Amino acid sequence: MRTFRGGLLIGLAIAVAIAAAAITYERYDTKTLKRTIRRDAVLCGVNTGLPGFSTPDDKGNWSGFDVDFCRAVAAAIFDDPNKVKFVPLDASERFKELQSRKVDILSRNSTWSMSRETGFDLYFPAVAYYDGEGFMLPAARNIDSALALDGSKVCVQDATTTQLNLADYFRANNIKYTEVKFDKLDDVLKAYQSGQCDTFTADVSQLYALRLRMAKPADHVILPDVISKEPLAPVVRQRDDDWMMIVKWTLYAMINAEELGITSKNIDEAMKSKKPDVMRLVGTEGAYGEELGLTKDWAARIIRRVGNYGEVYDRNVGTGSKLGIPRGLNQLWSAGGIQYAPPIR
Amino acid sequence: MIRFRRLIWLQLIAAAGLMLSMPQGFAQQPDPGDEPGLIADDGYELPPEYKRQMVYYRSTEAPGTIIIQTSERFLYIVQGNGRALRYAIGVGREGFQWQGLLKISRKAEWPDWTPPPEMIQRQPYLPRFMAGGPGNPLGARALYLGATVYRIHGTNRPDTIGTAVSSGCFRLVNADVTDLYDRVPVGTKVVVRQRPEL
Repeated sequence: MRTFRGGLLIGLAIAVAIAAAAITYERYDTKTLKRTIRRDAVLCGVNTGLPGFSTPDDKGNWSGFDVDFCRAVAAAIFDDPNKVKFVPLDASERFKELQSRKVDILSRNSTWSMSRETGFDLYFPAVAYYDGEGFMLPAARNIDSALALDGSKVCVQDATTTQLNLADYFRANNIKYTEVKFDKLDDVLKAYQSGQCDTFTADVSQLYALRLRMAKPADHVILPDVISKEPLAPVVRQRDDDWMMIVKWTLYAMINAEELGITSKNIDEAMKSKKPDVMRLVGTEGAYGEELGLTKDWAARIIRRVGNYGEVYDRNVGTGSKLGIPRGLNQLWSAGGIQYAPPIR
Repeated sequence: MIRFRRLIWLQLIAAAGLMLSMPQGFAQQPDPGDEPGLIADDGYELPPEYKRQMVYYRSTEAPGTIIIQTSERFLYIVQGNGRALRYAIGVGREGFQWQGLLKISRKAEWPDWTPPPEMIQRQPYLPRFMAGGPGNPLGARALYLGATVYRIHGTNRPDTIGTAVSSGCFRLVNADVTDLYDRVPVGTKVVVRQRPEL
């Protein structure tokens, strides 16, 4: 009887141990870097196609702001921005696919919010792009502030946070408006184009992309006002701190490089610099890369292969691209924006 | 006396340094940025990103302050409330490496041009004096920066906006410099920012 009970207990203990191990496997993944190195490629979840952020060409080569971020991580690890496998993901399943390890990083114009971190056991290491709701209107109206939109008919997509933010903003500023709403974004654009409304509201990055579809893009302006918070950030799984640190400091290295005036064009010159903050970033002083589990020149690799933050911004979404989105909030904190990276020291 | 002599030495060293840092044959090269006598093309249209526009811009400087970000090729007038009016500029290929605060000391419409001696030395073909007018490289307006030889001015070469070709001045297209001129009084603070050195 005793032995039977004992056997039962041992069996139970083993079952619990196996279950615990299984749960630990699910919840505590701390080997992303190791697996990435063994696989010889970063698995990067991107948008299936979003102008400026991630688009494949005819040959399956990906480009864009979100794409370049994964290339930067690959450059830091492998010194090769092409060691990335891009996995196009739909919006609905993206967080679950990251959770189930289909990708190492999600770099897919995803807004950082509290519930997304807590609800999916995910972590957004740092803001890559500050987006937010804005307004497009005909240049001929000669308005340069959202506060001057009193009495406007506003085209907006129905049942979105965009619609709610719009209501909040106008109420808070005591200005009146009439909603002209549609379920589909294409219909909202058509309504605006046919003059059914005075202004069109959507996220600023989206407005610049939609403006390209107008017959005469230059006849429409997008106001500098941003009325909501849509911080777009890369996403990783919780509890793999080593991997999270690599992703976080890859972005911060790019921002710090811009602030220090280091570009893909002058990186060789920067390697010879005697300025302490430049030396720490490019790895000619200290062991910051080794602390990350990478090499001394991890940041120099990023800058050389992909570029600093401003270079990546300009060629994908900024003045060097079709979109031509002004830096705005994404300018450095020292030059009129809010992009701010903690120092490397 | 010792101090004075030391000053001369310093100047000699600085001059030698400047000559060494110049590309060879530099003085013989015509300056692509200056074409005295050329009448500006009024129909020239700036690319969209270089057009005068209101932009998002956070600043702790008071509204009305001019901020010049040389590496961006933009000049901002701070408007307060997180915005600024932005103009595209052409900047110096060398010369104005100075960073800090200046004030507008004088304003002039269709300014005369007296190229400073150091410019004549580099570009001997330049006129010693040129009366203000449409063919003048200083363009429609000039804002003088403190006691320096540098100015914010117009241009008869609107195609050089966004480039680094001048001898250190900041140039705007004539329509923009005229707009700017009407907005800022003498005494306006001008903050100049340079790309950090490596």
